[in-house]
Amino acid sequence: MRTLLHYVRLYVLIATQYVKARMQYRADFWISSVGMVFTSIATVFVFWVLFHSIPDLAGWSFDEILFIYAFYLLSVVPLQLFFDNIWQLRFHVVEGSFIKYYLRPINMMFYYMSDMVDLKGWVQLALGVFMLIYASQRLGLTWNLWRLGVLGMALFSSSLVAISILTIAACATFWIVGSFPVMDLALKIRDFSPYPMTIFDGFFRFLFTYLIPIGFVAFYPSQFFLRPEQVPLLTYFSPLMGIGSFALAYFVWTKGVNSYTGTGS
Amino acid sequence: MNDTVVHVDHLSKHFRILNRREGLGGAIRDLFSADYKTVRAVDDISFDIQAGEIVGYIGPNGAGKSTTIKMMTGVLKPSDGTLLVSGNEPYANRRRNAQTMGVVFGQRTQLWWDLPVIESFRILKEIYRVDDATYEKHLGMFNELVDLKALYSQPVRKLSLGQRMLCDITASFLHNPRIVFLDEPSIGLDVSVKSKIRSVIRELNRAQRTTIILTTHDLGDVEALCRRIIIIDKGKIIYDGPIGKVTALFGAYRTLKVQIHNYKEGTSDQLEAALGARFGGDAAIAVEHTETGWTDVTVNQDQVPLFDVLRFVMETLPIKDVRIVEISMENVVQQIYDGALK
Repeated sequence: MRTLLHYVRLYVLIATQYVKARMQYRADFWISSVGMVFTSIATVFVFWVLFHSIPDLAGWSFDEILFIYAFYLLSVVPLQLFFDNIWQLRFHVVEGSFIKYYLRPINMMFYYMSDMVDLKGWVQLALGVFMLIYASQRLGLTWNLWRLGVLGMALFSSSLVAISILTIAACATFWIVGSFPVMDLALKIRDFSPYPMTIFDGFFRFLFTYLIPIGFVAFYPSQFFLRPEQVPLLTYFSPLMGIGSFALAYFVWTKGVNSYTGTGS
Repeated sequence: MNDTVVHVDHLSKHFRILNRREGLGGAIRDLFSADYKTVRAVDDISFDIQAGEIVGYIGPNGAGKSTTIKMMTGVLKPSDGTLLVSGNEPYANRRRNAQTMGVVFGQRTQLWWDLPVIESFRILKEIYRVDDATYEKHLGMFNELVDLKALYSQPVRKLSLGQRMLCDITASFLHNPRIVFLDEPSIGLDVSVKSKIRSVIRELNRAQRTTIILTTHDLGDVEALCRRIIIIDKGKIIYDGPIGKVTALFGAYRTLKVQIHNYKEGTSDQLEAALGARFGGDAAIAVEHTETGWTDVTVNQDQVPLFDVLRFVMETLPIKDVRIVEISMENVVQQIYDGALK
């Protein structure tokens, strides 16, 4: 408990300083935020065009897809906010600057991830909340305290899955020199997560459910709210999937960190 | 409790490296190759370091210096042997070890790049759980040593290399570590900043009896700070003892670098022969042509006056340019191999 408090205090200290420092680069913040908002709007636009030519997608309506997409946006917020430094891992490892993360008496993953706070995550959070409210209104969903609690739990599990997939992909750099394709592939696969898994056939559905469980990033957990009368059994395993995949990611990270030998000097 | 801070006993580190083949075909075959060779980066070394010592840990590039430092700081796992730092096995107890040590890498800062210096210090205070009184006391001491106050509000990225180095060194002592590793602390700095850094290191060592291990290429650093040096080459310790013996020997050596007009293959051999004939044939003068186009003439001034050699060279060959430098680390190691310390 004392350790947890220590880490929370430390994170708040680093993050507030970081935010202060980043405020010096205001243009950077606004441009990247606007870029991110446009990416999301473009994705929604693609859905909209898609639904103009077909009435539904494997039984899913536009509003339901919008809901799943909003859920997806929210579930990647923690990745964006707290784990954004994962993108820099291969540079640190190849250039040897990764060594400094071994030298402090705190958890290495914490220290590494605390080194960057991505502010546009907050913009994404706002966008996701807005879309979720909009989609629920159109779907006529009602929210009560219980359902909000379930939403929180579901988002927690989903974000762990999203974090784990990218962390494991990034860790490839500990063993492979040119590891960008691995990261790129993970990102491309993650882009499938706002789609209903039922549109995929047997192999891909199996892949996205069990092996690279992007189904748990948005689709399975959002079933609780969209089709509560026919929630597949799998959905109840979301928290387990989240915690399990994060445990695996942490294991891979630890293995990678321990096999790192650094550059010459 | 005894005062041994670092205990190294038959320590080795081996790396398995794939034997790479040439060309595209070789690269493809490498994918399936199991043809590894073992590189003994550190090969069966032993030494003990006591509290309060400043030890120079030196050697040429690729000698095994940074591998040893990486083992002592808990980054790498030893392949064989015993290694204890403040009674801990660094690799097995990385966090506990980190609490009692400080590390500075001359080439990369460990401070928070975008943050003002003082905020980096505050974060470190929190990381190491340094109490307010100790923190204030230390900062006060650093302010007396180097006037850092003016830098406090500057982001680290705006500091000059020398200022950043001073801040990094200060930061590494904040939590009152028992041992501090300084890796090339004066690399790339000019003479006045070097001397300031040396005096700060000496003062910090004295104030808390902090053990310091210094790796460097700069023999000047070693001479100014260390009483004991350990020289490592090809993974083995080739000298461990007082610095006096080494400086007495190499203090007298100077390298005369000359650029010869119309240099041809064999000119340096002819020069060496001519110098041998003129000044006597023993090892006092060595001539070597380097890739940069300079010809190095290394002279032991105790045996032959440098000026005489210079005049002789100028008279014998058409010389375009001349420089006189202190003997290099590589040369020292070569001389030790040749039995200079026996």
